[in-house]
This record gives sequence, C-alpha cells and structure tokens, in this order.
Amino acid sequence: MMAYTQALFSAGIIFTVLLAVAALYCLLFSRNLIRILIGLELLTKSVTLLIALAGHITGHMALAQTMIITLIVIEVVVIAVAAGIVIGAQRHNQSLDVRMLRNLKG
Amino acid sequence: MPVLLIIVPLLALLVLNLPWMRLMNRLALWVGLILCLIQFFLVLHSPSFFWEAPPLWLGRLFLFAPSLDYLSLVMFLAIAIVGASALLVCRYSIHDLLEPVKPGACSHKRFLVINLLILALTGMNGVVLANDLFSLYVFLEITAVASYILIVAEKGRDAFEGAFKYLVMSAVATALILAAIALLMLTAGDLSYANIKLAMSASSDSHIVLAAVAMLVVGLFIKGGLIPFHGWLPDAYSAAPAAVSVLLAGIVTKTTGVYTLIRIVLSVIGFSDTLENLLLLIGAASMLVGALAALGQSDFKRMLAYSSISQVGYMVLGLGAGTILGLAGSIFHLFNHAIFKSLLFVNAAAVEQQTGTRDMNRMGGIAEKMPVTGCTSIIAFLSTAGIPPLAGFWSKLIIIVALWQSGHIAYAVLAILASLLTLAYFLSMQRRVFFGKLAAGFENLKEANVWILIPACVLAAITIGVGIGIPWLFETFLLPIRSLL
Repeated sequence: MMAYTQALFSAGIIFTVLLAVAALYCLLFSRNLIRILIGLELLTKSVTLLIALAGHITGHMALAQTMIITLIVIEVVVIAVAAGIVIGAQRHNQSLDVRMLRNLKG
Repeated sequence: MPVLLIIVPLLALLVLNLPWMRLMNRLALWVGLILCLIQFFLVLHSPSFFWEAPPLWLGRLFLFAPSLDYLSLVMFLAIAIVGASALLVCRYSIHDLLEPVKPGACSHKRFLVINLLILALTGMNGVVLANDLFSLYVFLEITAVASYILIVAEKGRDAFEGAFKYLVMSAVATALILAAIALLMLTAGDLSYANIKLAMSASSDSHIVLAAVAMLVVGLFIKGGLIPFHGWLPDAYSAAPAAVSVLLAGIVTKTTGVYTLIRIVLSVIGFSDTLENLLLLIGAASMLVGALAALGQSDFKRMLAYSSISQVGYMVLGLGAGTILGLAGSIFHLFNHAIFKSLLFVNAAAVEQQTGTRDMNRMGGIAEKMPVTGCTSIIAFLSTAGIPPLAGFWSKLIIIVALWQSGHIAYAVLAILASLLTLAYFLSMQRRVFFGKLAAGFENLKEANVWILIPACVLAAITIGVGIGIPWLFETFLLPIRSLL
C-alpha cells in the first residue's frame, strides 16, 4: 500500500508540474490575450489536480471535493471577468495582441 | 456574531438589486455609508454582545468558525474608514444621474460601482474573519474579482490594460496559494490554521512543507505588490477610477497582501530565521525601489502608487524584525497607511476632477485655489514621510526601534534613509502641484465640492488625532498587540 501511495504521489506530482510548466510557458510566451487566459485556466487545472491528489492520498476526499467544486465556480467567475476585460481591450485596440497593452509605463 | 459583518452586506446587496431601480439608485450610497458607519462604531465601542455571542442559525450556515482577535478589530476599523471615504469619492467623481441615457450605454454606473464597492468590503471582512486557508482563498477571490470589475468601471483604454495586468498577476498568485494549500493539506489533512500549525511543527523541515511555505509567501507578495512582483500595481492604481484607487491603495492590497501575510506568519508558519531574512530583504527592497521610482514620476496617481509600494515595504520590514515590537509597528503602520494614503488618493481625485489632468508638470500653485485640498495633502504627506507628531512618525519610529533592538542595524539605517527619500518625492510633488505660481489655464479653478472635502477633512483629522493621541493610544492600541504572539 505504501509503495502504491508513493508511486501515485510521484506520478501525480510529475503530471501536475508538467501541466504547470506548460501553463507558465503559455503565459510567458504567447502574445494573444485569449491564449493567456487559456494559460491561466491550465494553471488552475494543474492546481485542481494537485488538490484532488492530496485529498485522495490523505483520505480526505470529501474536503477535496468541496474545495474543487468551489474552486471551479470561482474560476469560472474569474475567467468570465477576464474575458470581459479582453473584449474591452480588443474594442479599444482593434487587436488581441498583448503588445498593444503598452500604454502605461514608467 | 462577527459573521454578521459578512452576511449583512450581502443581504444589503441583494435588497439593493431588487427591481426598484430608481429608488435603489438613490439609496445605494446611503446603504453603503451606513454599513461602514455601523462597522466603525461596532469596533470603537466593541459591545461584547456582538463580538462574543455565539452565531445564530444564520451564522451556522457558514462552515467556518470565524476567528477574532485584536488584529481583526484594527482591520475592521481601517476597512470601515477607507470604505466610507471611497463611497463618498464615488459620489463626487462619478456623475451619471444627470447624463442623458444613450442607447446601450450603462445609465447607472455609480450604482454599479457602489454595489461592487460593498462587495469588495464584504470580501475583505471575510478575509479578516477567515480561520482556515480555504475560506481565506474564497474571500480573497471575492475581493479580487470585485476589484477587477471596479478598475474597468469607466471603460477607458488604460483601465483595461491595468486591469488585465492585475488579473493575470493575481490569478498566478492565487494558483500559487492554492498549490500551497494542496501541499499543506497533504501534510496536515485539514485546513484550519491551528491544525496546519500543529502538523507543521511536527514535520517542519520536510521538503513539501518548505515548498508550500515558499509558494504561500510568494503568492502573498504578489497580492501585496512587493518588489519584485510589483509590476501590476502602479498600472492598476493609476488606471482605476478615483474612488477605486482610494479603495485599492488604502485597503484592498493591504488586506489581501499584508494583513494575510501577517496572519499567516502569526497563526500558521511561525517565525524562523530564513523567513525573517526573506521578509527583511523583500521589505527593504520594496521600500527603497518604491521610493526611488516614485521620485521619477510625473503622473500624480502613479507616484502615489509607487509610494504605496514603499510603505508596504516598511510594514513587511517591521514584520521581518520578528519581535512583538516590530509586529506592533507593522500593524500600526498598516492602519496609518490606510488613513494617509487614502487621504492622498482623495486629494488626487479632487485635483484630477477639478483640473482634468494628472500630469504634475502641467500643474502649479493649486493650493491657492483649492485651500482645503492643499492643506490636507500637506498633512498626509508629512505623516507619510514620518514628521512628528503625525501618525506616520510613530509607526515608523516603532518599526525602526524594533529593527535596531533585534540587531538589524543596517536595515534600521536603510529605513531612515528611505524616509528621507519619501520626504524628497513628496516635497517635489507639493512644489509641482500645490505650491508656487499658479499655472496657466487654472485661473478659474474652484475648490472641489463638499462630497470630497468631508472624507479629506475626516481622514486628516484622524491622522493628526492618532499622532497627538499616541500616549493614550499606546495603552489601547499598541499594548494589546502583545496578546497576538
């Protein structure tokens, strides 16, 4: 049983980290605002996976499920607001390029 | 039943959004102000039937048991004061009732902004009350989402840019905090502060705990806008509408970043040498870089935003001293900063509304035409720079003495030097904006109206009062902090 938990934990951590790295790559190197939102979604997904893993390993699945459902709800709200902001930026700049967001500096 | 501080504003929001639009439009501001005033008097008079009574059936709907100590009371006070000022500035700076309604345009912008302000205040009350990491996360997100929408309330081009940067950085911070929560759940199996603290003291040097603490602290640094994670902060503050800048700079980032950091360090992580060194380093860097960057700004609100980073540096430095005196200084400075930085942003709102510009190079001699705004801004900047006997002097003095006592003499000297830099950039601001010869084109400038002079005068009075009343406040405000450690 111990070895099983260990293997599950390692596999889960590796997958979570891979997902998070992909998300960070997407956040850092994409120039499209929508892609940045997708990167944020991916990042949250990797964290959700980590919470599910923690709940499964410690045997507190009920707590983890509550957390994940709440997290999904909040995430949808954040992404909806973010999409609204992207639409607003697109209306002002006529473009989804993140390089257009350079007005404020100093 | 402190949980009522979350439930009542939420119910008020529900009632305000019942379909009697015209009536509610007029009521919204007063409902918000009354909520803030009630909170203010509940803290000042602290009736035990409110703070200590067991929750009613309504409170039991919440799964979390709210925690309450001295630190929470200070935060409630600051939230109420800054919230009321933001609502009054909102009444002053957002005009919509008289404008003709364009098809498709939002005809009740002020109503929406007031609703979101109340939501942000609710979220911050929740952050202060939270007793486990998960409700902390939920309330952090409520506050953050309300502030994203508030920043873009005026739909300007810069506002979308600032809000997008804030949103991305804040979402990354949230992901870091959540990952830390997952890792802590892995070691503790539970999320309440007390249980995590127990589990952490049992396995303090495991790699998982270290990674969790690192992610948690970095996430909170991003939320608080500390160097090197400050990129979003000046953009978000300067692009936001005036009322929202008051709220964001005065209390939102301080609650979600600094207060949460203090709370987590006190109740969960506990002080250790590594953490203290990290806090000292980041605090000193924020203090100096914020002050130096503020020197070179010509946008009024942007300069205040960098000044805010610098002052947050002081708070983190006080926390990093790791002693009870440092903690007292940190909390006291948090409160003072909420007052004087709100006052400066209120003044910035008045100046921007009356002159139509935020460029300090185009202003000059405004104090002649706007005497109250000029006078209150002098009080605020002297307090920020730490000139006795104003409030900011005492909190900075406590932080510096705490640093000296705990053996961090170099950091104490840096804090004094940064105070000189603060004086330098504020003097430059005063000279360019308020003093000197009246700039061309401002001959017909008028003083702002009463909606903005009330919060300005009240905040200035609090700053002076706290500074002069320090012998009395020492007993009632600073000594109870001993109970926290």
